[in-house]
Amino acid sequence: MAETELTEVVDFLALHAPFDALPHRVRHDLAGRLTVRYHRRGSHLMTVGRDSDELMIIRSGAIETHDAEGRLVFRGAEGSACGSTTLVGRNPSRFDVVAIEDTLALHLPAEVFHELRREHEVFAEHFEGERAGLLRAAATAVATGRHGEPILRTSARDLAHRAPVTVRADGEIAQAARTMTDEGVSSLLVVEGERLVGILTDRDLRRRVLAAGVDPRQPVSDVMTSDPVVAPADASALELLLTMTEANVHHLPVVEGGAPVGVVTTTDLMRLERVSAVHIVGDVAKQTDVAGVVDFAARTPRLVQQLLEQDVSADDITRVVTSVGDAVERRLIALAHEDLAARGMGPAPRMCWMVLGSRARHEQALGSDQDHAVIIADDAPERAEDYVAALAEQVVAGLEAAGHPRCPGDVMATNPRWHQRLSGWRAEFAQWLDEPVPDAVLGASIFFDSRPLAGDHELHAALVNEVAGRLPGARNLLGHLTAQAVDNDPPLGFFRGFVLGRSGEHKDLLDLKRGGVGAIVDLARVHALAAGLTVVNTRARLRAVAGPGGLAPETAEGLVDALEFISHVRLAHQSRQQEAGLPVTSWISPDDLTTFDRRALREAFHVVRRAQRALAQWHPGQRWT
Amino acid sequence: MIWRGGARGGREARRREAAARRAPAGPLRDHLTVPTPTPGTPVAELPLLAVDLETTGLDPGRDRIVAIAWVPIDRLGVVLGGAGRLVVRPGSDVGESATLHGLTDDAVAAGVPSGEALARLLDALAGRVLLAHHAGLEAGFISAECARVFGSPFVPPSVDTMRLQRRVLEGPLGTGPEPAGGELRLAAARQRFGLPRYRAHDPLADALGCAELYLAQVAELALRSRTPLTLADVSG
Repeated sequence: MAETELTEVVDFLALHAPFDALPHRVRHDLAGRLTVRYHRRGSHLMTVGRDSDELMIIRSGAIETHDAEGRLVFRGAEGSACGSTTLVGRNPSRFDVVAIEDTLALHLPAEVFHELRREHEVFAEHFEGERAGLLRAAATAVATGRHGEPILRTSARDLAHRAPVTVRADGEIAQAARTMTDEGVSSLLVVEGERLVGILTDRDLRRRVLAAGVDPRQPVSDVMTSDPVVAPADASALELLLTMTEANVHHLPVVEGGAPVGVVTTTDLMRLERVSAVHIVGDVAKQTDVAGVVDFAARTPRLVQQLLEQDVSADDITRVVTSVGDAVERRLIALAHEDLAARGMGPAPRMCWMVLGSRARHEQALGSDQDHAVIIADDAPERAEDYVAALAEQVVAGLEAAGHPRCPGDVMATNPRWHQRLSGWRAEFAQWLDEPVPDAVLGASIFFDSRPLAGDHELHAALVNEVAGRLPGARNLLGHLTAQAVDNDPPLGFFRGFVLGRSGEHKDLLDLKRGGVGAIVDLARVHALAAGLTVVNTRARLRAVAGPGGLAPETAEGLVDALEFISHVRLAHQSRQQEAGLPVTSWISPDDLTTFDRRALREAFHVVRRAQRALAQWHPGQRWT
Repeated sequence: MIWRGGARGGREARRREAAARRAPAGPLRDHLTVPTPTPGTPVAELPLLAVDLETTGLDPGRDRIVAIAWVPIDRLGVVLGGAGRLVVRPGSDVGESATLHGLTDDAVAAGVPSGEALARLLDALAGRVLLAHHAGLEAGFISAECARVFGSPFVPPSVDTMRLQRRVLEGPLGTGPEPAGGELRLAAARQRFGLPRYRAHDPLADALGCAELYLAQVAELALRSRTPLTLADVSG
């Protein structure tokens, strides 16, 4: 054959990833191994259930990729490619690829594709990333409502449906009350000029004016709540829900650029129908005995089921479960304090009750163990430890009744080791940081995921900030945590037709926790601790460490998507177990998975394994110095 | 919309047999002894060779070929690995046309002798139908060159994308307006189908451009036909 330079094709390839990164000579030879085909608008380049053995690069025109359920996954024009899912993954295709315009495509045969993958890392990596993109779509698809809008993503701006009714801070209380009646609102925003300075509610009029005998001719500023908790206009309904339950308020002014644009009330949120969490959290806080709290906590599984039916994302569902769990635990603590006071054991010493593990990360699923600890102030009286032990006994018993089994590792505030004075905690952490023993680290890594729940939050902040500052230099500890993080093998063998649970009752089951959610949590933790970050939520950690010196941004996003997808499958599975009256676990039978889930899970586990390999390649010393 | 009968296939075969008998032993006879696709061959299976020639002018009797490029089509796929491009050494000055096709006398002098170029083209064309934009001109030059080199003229069976474009533009039953001349040019025809722009007067770009245009044309014409298209439907 003549020395034939297919200039038009070679130049085209040079403009598009990953071909642009190949040496010119390789690109030149590649052009001679392609076939050009024309696909009329509406014709299939790939079909679900059919084998495909080519990579197709769009030369002109446009294509759309839909998954087996018909959801749009990808839309691409000149320079985009399709077909890698069956080349890197497995036949038959689980996607439909259709030309949405008349399309000219360059077809690259499988053997050439694999040759390029073997010989050019940049080429191989590009298509690994492509699969991550499809995983993203899978994760998004399960989290989007049937009408296209995730309900708990509704923004504060949309919920605050009417312009705010305002009153001046120097206005008379009586006039304010008349305005509320005329306008039919249960709250007024108090402004000075454009600026929001306070809020006045029905309840304030009742409690602070009528009950207190305040003269209604006094200015509003005397009885309003100053500097109220506010929400930015782009906050989601879920964020509003969490803010309101956490701050125990029923009216949340929505501000944009410093000026109030409306008010969202708990009633508005309840109108969303979906968020019975508001009811549960509110009702739990009103219970006067443990039995009442337990009663409401028992509604959590049903709530999860509803949220799943409404296609709420796993991230949001675990946040809701966490907020209910927080409310339950907080109420149990308050009831225990009351009981101890009634028995003359008070007053309570200065202390901070902290939650650990998945609840601390806002990632609580169903059936999780209790994990908590207490920091006692150094200046607390001598018998403070006895008080805390007695308090913890009651809380643990209450949580157990509410469906949270005791921690098998005894990481609970009842354990004297886990209710210590601040100085004791400092010593404990110092030992982990300075001379970590592997076993101790495995047990202790849970303490790096902590969040203050009740009591004096300052005690927690003092400890956490001090530890975080020392972590980036703690090479041995980070080395142990790294070893732990790369040790949770994603169950990929499962997808090659083998079963993973090697023995015993889990023999034919897939573990969604150890090599899945747990592995991602461990990866995020070690990266975040190495960077000295104090955030504990796994997504927040992954996003915070993405970038130079940390995690490759596409790896971080891949892990976020993998976490979302695996968590979603796990929640759905747990919800089914709960409904069937079975013990709630993270073990799932392959028969309970749809083909789509199985394939997307496999991609998710691949993402995890790649991230583990990347982490393992860093020599700890090299990384942390 | 079949408008040519199968009888022509027999005539074409007889014509080739006669030509093969007349042709001297060598590349032309070798080429002629390989059977070409019959008129009933479905377009989906039709092997073609898209050819573009650069010449010193437009008169096959007087002007000469200076460059040849080709690319085969198998089963409606343009096989880039089969692409070829040759510069021909004709033995006379390129003259003014050098400004058009960018080949200077020096470049042409570095080319292969026209007899060898022709032999290689005929080899690539064996068993295939010639595909070109304004195929008559390409066929005329090839025939004239065959007469010069082998002493025997030869017109290969061909498909003309310019004619196909006229049919595309005229609509299903000639309902469209008479296409203006400019609309039939290769670049304009490609644009009509949203095909990418290629540089002009590079023979391989034109051969590839012609091949891609053909794929687009038969995809559109197939929609208008109640039966699968055959060679008879697209040739002539």
